[in-house]
Amino acid sequence: MTTKRFLILVPAIIILFLLQSYLWVPTYEEQTKGNPNRLNEYVTASLGDATLLNPVLSANSASSQIESMVFEGLIDYDEELRFRGRLATSWKVFEEAYFYVNDQAKISYGEAPDVRALVRLLENAKKNSTAFPPKVAGSLNRIESIILLPPEDSTVVKELKATDSEPKPDAVKIHVGAPARIKLVLSEVDQDLFNNLSVILGNDYFSTFDPAKFVTAESPIAETTLSTWAKEILPATEHNPVLIFNLRPNVKFHDGYPFDADDVLFTYEAIMNPKNLSPRVSDYEPVKSVEVLDPLKIRIVYKRLYSPAISTWGMGILPEHLLNAKALKKEAQALGKDPEAFSMRQSRFNRQPVGCGPFTFQEWKSDQFISLNAFEDYWEGPPNYKRYVMRIIPDLLTQEMEFYAGTLDSYNVQPHQVERLKDDPRFQSFSGTSFGYTFIGYNMLRPPFDDVRVRKALGMAIDVNKIIDYVLYGQGENITGPFVKQTDYYNHRIPPLPYDPQGALKLLAEAGFKRNKEGWLERDGKPLQFTLITNSGNDIRKAVLTIAQNAWRQIGIDVRTDLLEWSVFIRERVDKKDFDALVLGWQMPITPDLYQVWHSSQTHPYQLNFVSFKNERADQLIIKIRREYNHAKQVAYCHELHKIIAHEQPYTFLFVGKWMAVLDKRVVIKDIGEDGNMLYKKIKPTKTGSYTFHFNKWIKVPDMPQMTTEGW
Amino acid sequence: MFSFIGRSIVQKTITLFFVSVVSFLIIHLAPGEPSQIDPMNPKFTPEMVERFRTQFHLDKPLYVQYVYFYRDLFTGKIVSWKDNQSVLAKIWERFLNSLPLFIVGTLLTWTLSFPVGIRSAIYRGGVYDRSATFFSYLLISIPGFFFAYILIILVVTAFHVPVIGMETYGMGNAPWPNLFMDRIWHLLIPSALGATAGIAVLSRYVRSQMLEVEGQDYVRTAKAKGLPPDQVHYKHALRNALLPFVTMFGLILPGLIGGSVIIESIFSWPGMGRMAYEAILARDYPIILTVNFLSAVLVLAGTFLSDLLYLVVDPRIRL
Repeated sequence: MTTKRFLILVPAIIILFLLQSYLWVPTYEEQTKGNPNRLNEYVTASLGDATLLNPVLSANSASSQIESMVFEGLIDYDEELRFRGRLATSWKVFEEAYFYVNDQAKISYGEAPDVRALVRLLENAKKNSTAFPPKVAGSLNRIESIILLPPEDSTVVKELKATDSEPKPDAVKIHVGAPARIKLVLSEVDQDLFNNLSVILGNDYFSTFDPAKFVTAESPIAETTLSTWAKEILPATEHNPVLIFNLRPNVKFHDGYPFDADDVLFTYEAIMNPKNLSPRVSDYEPVKSVEVLDPLKIRIVYKRLYSPAISTWGMGILPEHLLNAKALKKEAQALGKDPEAFSMRQSRFNRQPVGCGPFTFQEWKSDQFISLNAFEDYWEGPPNYKRYVMRIIPDLLTQEMEFYAGTLDSYNVQPHQVERLKDDPRFQSFSGTSFGYTFIGYNMLRPPFDDVRVRKALGMAIDVNKIIDYVLYGQGENITGPFVKQTDYYNHRIPPLPYDPQGALKLLAEAGFKRNKEGWLERDGKPLQFTLITNSGNDIRKAVLTIAQNAWRQIGIDVRTDLLEWSVFIRERVDKKDFDALVLGWQMPITPDLYQVWHSSQTHPYQLNFVSFKNERADQLIIKIRREYNHAKQVAYCHELHKIIAHEQPYTFLFVGKWMAVLDKRVVIKDIGEDGNMLYKKIKPTKTGSYTFHFNKWIKVPDMPQMTTEGW
Repeated sequence: MFSFIGRSIVQKTITLFFVSVVSFLIIHLAPGEPSQIDPMNPKFTPEMVERFRTQFHLDKPLYVQYVYFYRDLFTGKIVSWKDNQSVLAKIWERFLNSLPLFIVGTLLTWTLSFPVGIRSAIYRGGVYDRSATFFSYLLISIPGFFFAYILIILVVTAFHVPVIGMETYGMGNAPWPNLFMDRIWHLLIPSALGATAGIAVLSRYVRSQMLEVEGQDYVRTAKAKGLPPDQVHYKHALRNALLPFVTMFGLILPGLIGGSVIIESIFSWPGMGRMAYEAILARDYPIILTVNFLSAVLVLAGTFLSDLLYLVVDPRIRL
């Protein structure tokens, strides 16, 4: 019967055809061991695909991973997390400070408010600096030159704020007759300069400067508005930190075009160009001007003291010749698009980037892989690997299988696998603390969280070590404050809160909470009852939620919990400050700027200080840290701030996670030793735990190498 | 006939319009914003969030956004928010990647279900039938992702060959028959996985259809005439049992664009399902809505097609 035969034969043939394809496929052995090219390739995996390979436009991790290989910044962090020159060979930070001559103020040295006399006064003070207290003398010694700027007339156009009755704001012309101004060039940045100068010039010299009388508006406006504007246009004092980079000569982009200061300027302008919608705008907002001094020298002036700004120059530098207005216009015309609407965001550059990093872009297959080739003309010498490949594998188990099979060279181990993999003889493993921490935050606007004793008691009732042991499989550490644990800013002298439920009860009793008949804690007849929330989709936070609820219930607190979808959690609860307590985590940058998360001015809805932490001294320190350019001083301020935050316990700081990565054991560092011979060394992580720091020197060897300087 | 086609096209256009409105509303009313707008990133100032919203027209009223979106879709100018690539080009690329999976999966489902189901029906209640039933329910109940993991681990540890992705990574410049067969191999496991549930369900369906037809008078007559059993089963019974499956054929059409999120993610297959899933996570509205719209079109086209097919194969139906 033909139908019957047909029905049986067709699937049989299809299945046989599919199965025989097995015979054609190379095995893992053929791919990894039998293929000599494989030793020159480094293959890594990413869970997600990159978006735009342009450091100005993208900020996600997969894109950054590739960008860090293709592009190079002016500086980066060295093994000790200090700045290190890359495209810049050296840099200098100093300050230009300005203040307006205040003819109203009484100067302690003589009556005459003559401007020249003022300059002479400062010059004399500088000469006799030893006569002043050491702090003042320090500031005076930093002054390198005193320049008198003559009065200056100008016109400024300001816009009135839109009101309900008048939605379209009016522009107002303002005439400014600025008085004489004194410019001080300092050898280094000094945030206390004006405080110290007021010892010489009089305590109220800067505070009594009244800018309102130097400005007149063309059309009538409110007095208060005018005086606010006057303060903006004519600030009594101004700090302008200056950063001068000396750039590395003979550096080339991948297309052979030489790198120079214009590329740096262009990168800055690209970020600030509103058409590009760069997510990095806020980093560069404090920049006042960028000026090319010569092809290898660039000068950046800042509007105000803002020390984290230096780290922003680690950002990859774009090639101007491929992306400037002319090049974009040409590209738009070639694609038949409107040149006016065409911006860097649309350019094909974002899918085939050109930078001056150690690897050149080769190919990007969406959701499959991105491959890079070694750049032979890299200024530090080409990397040992000939190819760098990032495969996009969205599933962890498949990543793991590919790693075992040898088609991936590294794998990021999950906490529960650490025990199994850390001593596996086939691999070398690295681990370190991550830059983010998990915490329980309390809404300090709502009683009883306004009482530090309550917050502290809640923290003491939770056994963090148990969370680390059982939820994180031991892959975590205690943390006591908001700084990155492996930086100097972190104050290691602060002990973590002890696990002490009895002590917690005592503290709660001090705050007025007593156990009632049913065993619940209550104050004035009201039970201690609140809801702890977090976002769904994060198993660790969910576990913390349950553990905290259980721990608190055991000491008699009636805690409810709730899991919310991420965007509901953020928009409806966190942004609107509609919560009692929450479990959340922060990722921290290395720079110790805590302004947005901890300053009291950031406590409004939709801002990031959602727990409403307010502390006067903390505010001062946060500002001082931002303004301080001296590392040692910054560290001292950070330690004090850390202490205050640990004391106030606005968060119960829980833990910082640890990461672990495994690498094929045959990946080693190949370098030329002092005697000129080839040297193979085991990869060692830096003090801060970064094992990829020497990546450009890595190579895979066919067998375990015999040449060793240190034992394997 | 023509009036039926005309009527049906008008009806389906109206349905499509409502689908477009409802899906647009659902996506915009769901909480969350495009991942480019990240309120928890300290580097995002309110002005920047505002600028992004303006760029994506999110500051406009919904009906204006609706008009903008469909204008861009029909003029082909629509771009993804994630990487500024043309949405239609992206979908086409992914469609071509998902297509082989779909074809092989469908082939396996439809060619295997019939022999399995027919045999079950003929030897109803026998050992074969019982074990087929058992395995069908087993395959229906095993979660796809679990089965996939087990298969991957087995194949990788037992045979030491790669199974991830569309092709072996690093094949380089192997001769074309190797490249071709390599692709076939990579298709095998994901499409077999995709087909398992289909085979299990469809073979059950074939069995019950066959049983129903086998009980009919004309089959008894054929048997009574003394026809060989094969001819009774495969000619008289099967032909009539096939009728309902013709309509099902039209309904597999939407599967063309759906893809399979889980299988594509586990096997790193750069297909439609994965792209749509990632777009949903990143709230990349242009991609989500376009995929949604296209699958609505395919669903409607599929039902239309199955109506027509029925008309052709079943002489009892006349319009």
